[in-house]
Amino acid sequence: MKTYIAKSLLQVIPVLLIVSLIVFILVRVTGDPVALMLPETATAEDRAVLTQALGLDQPLYAQYIKFIGSALQGDFGTSFRYGESALPLVLERLPASFELAVAAMIFAIIIAVPLGVISAVKRNTFTDLIISSLSVVGKAMPNFWMGIMLILLFSVMLGMLPVSGRGGMEHLILPAFTLGVGLSAQMTRLIRSSMLDILNQDYIRTARSKGILEIVVIGKHAFRNGLIPVVTIMSLQFTSLIGGTLITETVFAWPGLGQLLVVAVNTHDMAIVQAAVFVIAFIVVISNILTDVVYRLFDPRIKYS
Amino acid sequence: MYRHKWFTSGITLLIAVMILAACGAPSTGGSKDTAASTSTGSKVLTIASATDIESFDPHNNNNTASEAVLVNVFDYLLKNDSQQKKVPGLATTWEKVNDTTWRFHLREGVTFHNGDPFTAEDVKYTIERVAKDNTLKQNSYFKNIKEVKVVDEHTADIITDGPDPLLLNRLSKMGAGIVPSKYIEKNGIEAFLKNPIGTGPYKFSQWMKDDRVVLVKNDKYYEGQPKWDQVVFRSIPEASTRVSELLAGSIDIASGIPSTDIERIQGEEGKKIVKAPIQRVLQLILRQSQGSVTADSKVREAIDLAIDKKGIVDSIAGGAGIVTRTSVTPGNFGADPSLYEKTLYDPTKAKELLKQAGYTGEGPALTLSVSSIYKEYAEVVAAMLNKEGFNIKLDVLEPSAFSERYSSKSFKEMFMIGIGNSLFDASNNYNRYLLEEAKGETDYNNPKVEKLLQHALTNLDTASREKEYQQVQQILAEDRPAVYLFQMEGIYGTSNGVDFQPRSDEMFYAEDIAPAK
Repeated sequence: MKTYIAKSLLQVIPVLLIVSLIVFILVRVTGDPVALMLPETATAEDRAVLTQALGLDQPLYAQYIKFIGSALQGDFGTSFRYGESALPLVLERLPASFELAVAAMIFAIIIAVPLGVISAVKRNTFTDLIISSLSVVGKAMPNFWMGIMLILLFSVMLGMLPVSGRGGMEHLILPAFTLGVGLSAQMTRLIRSSMLDILNQDYIRTARSKGILEIVVIGKHAFRNGLIPVVTIMSLQFTSLIGGTLITETVFAWPGLGQLLVVAVNTHDMAIVQAAVFVIAFIVVISNILTDVVYRLFDPRIKYS
Repeated sequence: MYRHKWFTSGITLLIAVMILAACGAPSTGGSKDTAASTSTGSKVLTIASATDIESFDPHNNNNTASEAVLVNVFDYLLKNDSQQKKVPGLATTWEKVNDTTWRFHLREGVTFHNGDPFTAEDVKYTIERVAKDNTLKQNSYFKNIKEVKVVDEHTADIITDGPDPLLLNRLSKMGAGIVPSKYIEKNGIEAFLKNPIGTGPYKFSQWMKDDRVVLVKNDKYYEGQPKWDQVVFRSIPEASTRVSELLAGSIDIASGIPSTDIERIQGEEGKKIVKAPIQRVLQLILRQSQGSVTADSKVREAIDLAIDKKGIVDSIAGGAGIVTRTSVTPGNFGADPSLYEKTLYDPTKAKELLKQAGYTGEGPALTLSVSSIYKEYAEVVAAMLNKEGFNIKLDVLEPSAFSERYSSKSFKEMFMIGIGNSLFDASNNYNRYLLEEAKGETDYNNPKVEKLLQHALTNLDTASREKEYQQVQQILAEDRPAVYLFQMEGIYGTSNGVDFQPRSDEMFYAEDIAPAK
């Protein structure tokens, strides 16, 4: 187990290097930050001065080497927009995104676990059909549209919840629910199929034949094992939540990593884009390793060499 | 046993979220007590825009949304009133000493938010910083200032490297926001940016990036007690969310209302729409380089005549625009009213002109490049041109790609752009037609215009300088290196609780916004 973790951590390095290279190149071939920083009336001379001051007149490979060298020391450059160091700017947004992701995950679990189990137990019944249809709808509904609809209903018409921004618990409910619904749709289907798989296993039949109450069979024997694949998908979803809440964060003006990244891309704030993608890649890689570890704790049959 | 564990970890997770949420919730109050009329009795003004400020450094900022907030914290030596006339700010009077020197008499008894007195030393520090540090985003507007001389504690001389008719315009815009020299010299710029201090009516309280800036009133403001106890600037990128915040009553003013939401807001009780022309004219810039189809003046005229500008304003812009044949709109120095609120539209003549230009069968083929933010306008323009016989290839670019092509001057025959004017002076619009600047972009070359523009650059005689620009405008309206579509208007949604008159410079001076009676 220990060697497994050590090995995985070593593999992180090339992954991050490749990610950094791709981002570095993409960011540089898609536009000129100097043009965005200067007023429309700036002269060619102003541009030259700023280009030089930012080191953008150097050849690409030289810029990349310099970038990696600094990145290793935690320096991803200075944000053009804020004039501050990029990494702290990215890290200070993590709590907001993390808070939203955890809350969304809780909503998703609350919705998906009971629905998934029920539809498995009552498979091919009317209830199952309803749940399946709901999860298709939930998955197909764009976050963007749903967010706006929820705002209209709960904030504008009913006045129950704040429209946007980050503040107390009440600010968290709508964006987290928006994200959670999409997520739960996928989880419901997964839990259903995973449970169905297990309900057909011999040991479940054995348990039933011993006369154990159905609720205990499902709750204790089947449910626990049925969760293993769910844990995997949850962790994968969680990481995509951290980096991928772009749309939801924008709709709800939630000051998280997603919104920072969207604005950075629009304003061509290279340092922020690089640092943010790097941090997201790091989180994804680390949480994949954690998933494997947790997986093993749940299912001792899996061995890592 | 296992169930118990699951239950426990579930509860732990829930508590963790609650703690997280509580940590992340500074006491900015719920949405309900941020609107103008609060139950708590303290007067709070909440304004929402699409973009956040960039920083509290008035010298390293090039963003109207930032300046709109910062004008409440930092004062200029002189201000523009809502008609863009220069009125006293931190300087009470000013006069020209010679062609390169202006003398400013400073207001006495003014203190910064930390209690430091405001003196000529602060003017020297501020102006020389932005004039000399070429990494600052405002530097290009101030680099012609050679030095600032402290005459006495309340008098400063600003010396330029040549005659500069625009000095007063420069001193009344972002980049000239006066910062405290003693405080910065002692604590460093980093500390200043975390805890910015100015002389303005509102003091910095809090900045949560991409969420809100909170300002509180400065009890010691030199013009008396500010109107509001607190001013909150929220950044809400999504327009429909801003509209919803306004309708839900949690903000007082929302900027950047999409034309499609105008009716919805007007239909709501207690809400209204206010509009004001802004400093941005949407235009087509045409190339006159040898070999380009737009080098032919008949083709350029045909483009102008084929586009129904009023129709575009009424449809896509939702009525928020004013047609014009000049980009120097009223309120800017050098404006020529005879070209404003005028438009040419004559599709029959456009067709005729194309025939005269030799296009009897296939019409002229040309590329129209545009940033995706103006995509809809470009589509309509292309359709109108195609209808009269042109063959337009539309080239829609992502904004940063557009900017790059723009600054490298690599567009083909025609591009669409909205150009603003933060200096309120015609030179800002027309320097692009100077021979050197026009190279590669329009390749415009008219010796008469060149002479007028060059002279106006350093002409300190206001009356003759104004004439020069008006002459240039008349010539350009015929030469058409650019075809102007319309001056854009800012659309704001407000609650009836506030009395807000939008400004053409898009600033939010909280002191000019009053609680409605």
